Amino acid sequence: MARKGTSRARAPRAPSPSSIDVHLDSWLREFGPRGHETIEAESVERLLDVLEERYPRLRFKVRDETGHLRRYVRVFVDGEDVSGTTGVATPLAGARTIDILHSIAGG
Amino acid sequence: MPKDHKVRILLGTRKGTYIVEGDARRTRWKVRPVAHPGNEVYHVVADPRHPGDLYAAVNNSFWGPAVHRSRNWGKTWKEIATPLTPSGKDRKPLFNDADPTTPVPRALNNLWHIEPGLPSEPTTLYLGADPHLLFRSPDQGASWEPLDSINNHPRKKEWAPGAGGACLHTIILDPREPKRLYIGLSAVGTFRSEDGGETWKATNRGVLAPFLPDKHPETGQCVHHVAVDAADPDTFYRQDHGGMYVSHDRMEKWTRIGKPLGDDFGFCVASPRSAPGRAYFVRLDGMARVTGEGYFQVHEWNDKTRTWRKLLGPKDFPGHFGVQREGIATDDLDPAGIYVGTTTGQLFVSPNGGKDWRLVPYQFPGIHSVTVASPSSR
Repeated sequence: MARKGTSRARAPRAPSPSSIDVHLDSWLREFGPRGHETIEAESVERLLDVLEERYPRLRFKVRDETGHLRRYVRVFVDGEDVSGTTGVATPLAGARTIDILHSIAGG
Repeated sequence: MPKDHKVRILLGTRKGTYIVEGDARRTRWKVRPVAHPGNEVYHVVADPRHPGDLYAAVNNSFWGPAVHRSRNWGKTWKEIATPLTPSGKDRKPLFNDADPTTPVPRALNNLWHIEPGLPSEPTTLYLGADPHLLFRSPDQGASWEPLDSINNHPRKKEWAPGAGGACLHTIILDPREPKRLYIGLSAVGTFRSEDGGETWKATNRGVLAPFLPDKHPETGQCVHHVAVDAADPDTFYRQDHGGMYVSHDRMEKWTRIGKPLGDDFGFCVASPRSAPGRAYFVRLDGMARVTGEGYFQVHEWNDKTRTWRKLLGPKDFPGHFGVQREGIATDDLDPAGIYVGTTTGQLFVSPNGGKDWRLVPYQFPGIHSVTVASPSSR
């Protein structure tokens, strides 16, 4: 369900697009870019929109059809895990890197 | 194309799809390399209308559910369209189970069952999913249409999930009447449609709901699985949380048959084409959810004599085995082959209607589903 902001939420920033280096883990590279990828976006949501436009096989893998991050996907903005806090609403103004990983789970 | 005489056992497991090949003797088996490794595969089924076509309900723990198809008996697989994944940027959910006029975000959970349509509808597929969803594809899975009569059912907010989730796990088509469908949902019960899924009638009369204050409600029974009799499409065998049942009137009324067995809990049931009036159940301990007597056991119901036959003894396969709702299957040969997969990865095979049993010498991951593609079914 929707991930609301908490005390760990990033402070609101002006929605000016930043050029972000996107890193996907090895499992996700099956569906997306295998190498270096740069995207200009003002939020995680918009960045994922662009990424999915470029790589349609990524659609509904990172987010479900309601637009929320899947349960075992973690997104780090400049090293900070936003998956359980601001989620896709996280602003990216001033950010430089985003890492999209699968979480430690399973058995 | 030369006629294919192979018998193929299709396994959906906790860690991928397995295809086990043999011939009509059904005594020697070859296990093919795993497909979808690491994925929870809830159901794998062959499409008898298109030999070689297989469909798999693949539920990836990280990336969500997806339908996969093979067109060469499982040599290669490809992800195809998955329901609730509309094209373009439209991410709105296609349903709202509480109030159809007010959409709320809710994602598709696990895919549970894929049912090929009748021979008269050569490109139709049905798919059952969580949360209590039914879809129909008119084009072999290139696209999916939600059946809103179920997906937006006016009483859906009263429907509770079972331990496995809000799964729509059973889909049965009447070979005589394309518009007649039956479905089973946990923990809701069974429904019948006479108009191609436009409207539905709850069909749980006679089935006990031991876990509810009202022991015989219209809906709320936890049906685990239903099999149709091959010779009589009006006769059904039902393994319910509340016992084992038979219906001879298109599910209008159910009669409990499992009481002579004592605890008649279980998850699965199958009825072979070559043995009309016979149904096979794997009786489990209702609390432990494994074979309670300490050995693998299958019970045969004879609907003509209304008697039970116990097929195995304590010395055959000692141990405590769990079997899930899709864990038993029969082939179309005579005598019937019976196949049972366990939650601990054993695959039991009887090539002769339950007379003899063997264990396929391979340790599979926990088995969710067993289906069989056998020559006479093509």
